[in-house]
Amino acid sequence: MIHFFIFLPVLASLLIFLVPVRWREEFAGAAAGLTLAGGLWSWSVGGLSAYRIDWIPALGVTYSVQMDGVSLLLGIVTAFMTLIAVIYAGKRIPNPGTMLSLILMMETGLLGIYAARDLVLFYVFFEDALIPALLMLAIYGKTHRMAALIKFAAYTLFGSLLMLISIIALKYYGGSPTFALSDLQANPVTGPVQTWLFLGFLAAMAVKLPLFPLHAWLPDFHAQNHDSGVADVMGTLYKVGAYGLFRFSVVLFPDAMLELRPILMGLAAFTALYAAWIAFSQSDWKRLLAYAGLSHMGLVGLGIFSLNETAMIGGLFLLAFQNVYTGALFLAAGMLQERVGSLSTKVGGVMTQAGVLSGMTMTLWFASIAVPGLAGFIGEFSILLGAYQISPWLAFLAGLSTIAAAAYALTAYQTTYWQVRPAGAVLVHDLRDLDWLILGAPLAVAIFFGVYSGPALALVQPVVRAWMSGLGGGL
Amino acid sequence: MNPALVFPDVSLAPLLPILITLLGAIAATLLGFYLPRRAVTLVSMVALVLSGISMASLWNRGLSAFSGSLQADNVALSLGLIILIGSLMTLLVSFDSAVRAHLSFPEFDALLLYAVTGTLIIAFSGDLVTMLIGLEVMSLSGYVIATLQGSRRSEEAGMKYFLLGAVGSAILIYGIALVYGATGTLSYVGIRDATSGLQVQNVGLLVVGALMLLCGFGFKVALAPFHQWTPDLYGGAPTTVGLFLSTVVKVAAFAGMLRVFGGAMQNVPAWASVLQVLIAATLVIGNLAALFQTNFKRLMAYSAVAHTGFLALALLGNPATGGPALTYYLLVYTLMTAAAFAVLGALQRSEEGFSIDDMRGLFYRHPAYAVALAVCLGSLAGLPPFAGFMGKYLAFQAAFQAGYVGLTVIAAMGSVAALIYYLRPAMLMFMPDRTPAREFPGERTPTTAAIALGVVGVTVLGVLPNVAYGLVANPAIWTILAGR
Repeated sequence: MIHFFIFLPVLASLLIFLVPVRWREEFAGAAAGLTLAGGLWSWSVGGLSAYRIDWIPALGVTYSVQMDGVSLLLGIVTAFMTLIAVIYAGKRIPNPGTMLSLILMMETGLLGIYAARDLVLFYVFFEDALIPALLMLAIYGKTHRMAALIKFAAYTLFGSLLMLISIIALKYYGGSPTFALSDLQANPVTGPVQTWLFLGFLAAMAVKLPLFPLHAWLPDFHAQNHDSGVADVMGTLYKVGAYGLFRFSVVLFPDAMLELRPILMGLAAFTALYAAWIAFSQSDWKRLLAYAGLSHMGLVGLGIFSLNETAMIGGLFLLAFQNVYTGALFLAAGMLQERVGSLSTKVGGVMTQAGVLSGMTMTLWFASIAVPGLAGFIGEFSILLGAYQISPWLAFLAGLSTIAAAAYALTAYQTTYWQVRPAGAVLVHDLRDLDWLILGAPLAVAIFFGVYSGPALALVQPVVRAWMSGLGGGL
Repeated sequence: MNPALVFPDVSLAPLLPILITLLGAIAATLLGFYLPRRAVTLVSMVALVLSGISMASLWNRGLSAFSGSLQADNVALSLGLIILIGSLMTLLVSFDSAVRAHLSFPEFDALLLYAVTGTLIIAFSGDLVTMLIGLEVMSLSGYVIATLQGSRRSEEAGMKYFLLGAVGSAILIYGIALVYGATGTLSYVGIRDATSGLQVQNVGLLVVGALMLLCGFGFKVALAPFHQWTPDLYGGAPTTVGLFLSTVVKVAAFAGMLRVFGGAMQNVPAWASVLQVLIAATLVIGNLAALFQTNFKRLMAYSAVAHTGFLALALLGNPATGGPALTYYLLVYTLMTAAAFAVLGALQRSEEGFSIDDMRGLFYRHPAYAVALAVCLGSLAGLPPFAGFMGKYLAFQAAFQAGYVGLTVIAAMGSVAALIYYLRPAMLMFMPDRTPAREFPGERTPTTAAIALGVVGVTVLGVLPNVAYGLVANPAIWTILAGR
């Protein structure tokens, strides 16, 4: 079952070219839907247990996968947002076969990242998700995509390769027989070597997270991607750095993480605030969203780095649901572009003609700026609550970013959707048929888990507890 | 009393793969007078396939001939098979591009097979003289092949190759002489025995000899700063020739290095630290220079230099980990480089290659070729799931475990630069473009077959590395690298 869940999308992405052109959207939708169903089914049976088989015995590389609570939550969110992206791509992009194939290919990479319990396997999925992202940018991007593409790839690979060396070193110095996480945990590396290996690992994760100063690829990546926002949804899902830190660093480099905790927390808090500050001066919705996402990722990082149970749960919760509402906001920006032909935040008066679109966008933004009752609040509140116990000042500093978020989001919203519609502007139509589903479903999720966060927290909590128990008492 | 007549230890079985190729070369020379070139090429390909079959039949038998001067152990056989794969791909591509490249005469096949014979002799060599003979047979044929086209560019390229190659050979021969002077033997086993406890008469002589050997090999595999002939040669020679020289010849030179440094001279001091410096220089120079290329052919040439650096990392490792790593990487390197050159051969209109900007929108004109080239470039850049990733990973691991941490980090940084220059053409191909096509419009079946072989190879070997790695992973076959 777990292999079905992971590999169904990539299988579909290859088969899609055999399907007649007019059936491709339906085919991709069915595949994405089936994957989501597989995820929900896994949830109903309480996660999928570990599966392990030797992949390259001579090297000690195993194919070990598992879907426990945290993996499952992120996996289901990925499957859900992929389905939404597939529906919107099928509707918006002419002749979408290639795009749909890339979306599905990327889904497998992401699900594999969450499922992998072997470091080399993790690395393989980590890089595999990169290829479709690059192709999306290359095929569907805007004029300056080449620079954005190279920046993105160079940053990503720079980190990944340092991580690869760390992975090799981890097995070598620890004396573990394989790269499987359980074996590596049983053969830990200690002392200063651990710190060095952690830094290698951190390089990769900080790029993906992204953490200041390794974030520069992110705004260009989003700004140069296709207007529809479909590629951006996948880009949002690709911020797996926090997950990698949680899954591998906490158990493999506990001492190093503890030692570097003040610096890392400081960087994360600074990222949150700095990105919110920059977001304030953006005049393009996509860049604004990119910086808003970056600011949220700073908070997620703060949660993970504080090594506090509450904060960590909050971090993972925020990571999961940030994907939902930020992804949906990217799609909403795509819809805005479709209607007024611009992504500028100075359009003005959209509300008068497209009330539902504006309303839904606003509610999604409320989720993003952590208004209570929506999913964003639970995550951000838990993070700040937990981080406060470790470092009150940094928690305060990061908390300022939520105020800044309200400022940048509402300012831009006001100049786009309220104000006066310029004279002679095109007539804007409101949501039509599937648009309702595309924005409505993520919004429903954000409201549901904002009001009733129990099921999601129940997925995350036991795993975080188990993971933290390895760290010893002093936390 | 007359001294007893001692017959040399000639046994035919381990010689068979080499003899078959040699017979193929002779047949190609003679048949060339009577048959058209395509028939001769077919004969050559049959000879290569037969040679491959004979190699497979020798697997695990550990035979040797001429009192160990020729080893048909698993190391030789696996390297030999890689050489044959590269040669077969060369011949397949030559079916299509030979006419355009003004190479369409049977002498090309004959010389190619002589070169292959030389490369096989290197892979099978058990002492320095055998190795040298193989190297010279290979190099001499190579010089001729490079100039066979008769254009100014190709003559210039061949001339550079010849002059620098001859200097390299001279240094190599001098090194062999010094090693002989220090150890009193030319066989790998003898040198290893003499140097195992380092009770050599003259360590200084030995070290200088080893370094000269390293220098000589450095010319052949294109380690910086001995790489300067490479871009001119690969860029100036016909594409088919570039394909052959950058894969088969490089594999053979690495086979020689593996035998000499991994086996015979493993315990000799100093060469490893010098090699370390050379590798660092190669990684930096090769990768940086490749960043600034505008012609795809020259890009591939610098990429070949950069890959020399990655390949040589495996040489630094302990033979039990470095040997299989190098072999696997060489196989993958051959498949992906040959396939990339093959796509170039199929699409270019003239032998000058085409510029990277011309690749814009290739995906919409030749979807299959574009995807194939993208796979090759992705693999060359070391992105999983393609085999290039595993190759790089193995090389990094070998060097890392041997304690070359700093060098491994330099290599990783080099890979980032590599990603950028492979990515640009790879991504340009997928960008929509409205200008008219600048490449050859048709399909070329044999070339496509070679490309398919390469692409399927790197994909399968990437997902299931064990298919090839499992064959050579046994450490036991690498501890007897020097023969016994």
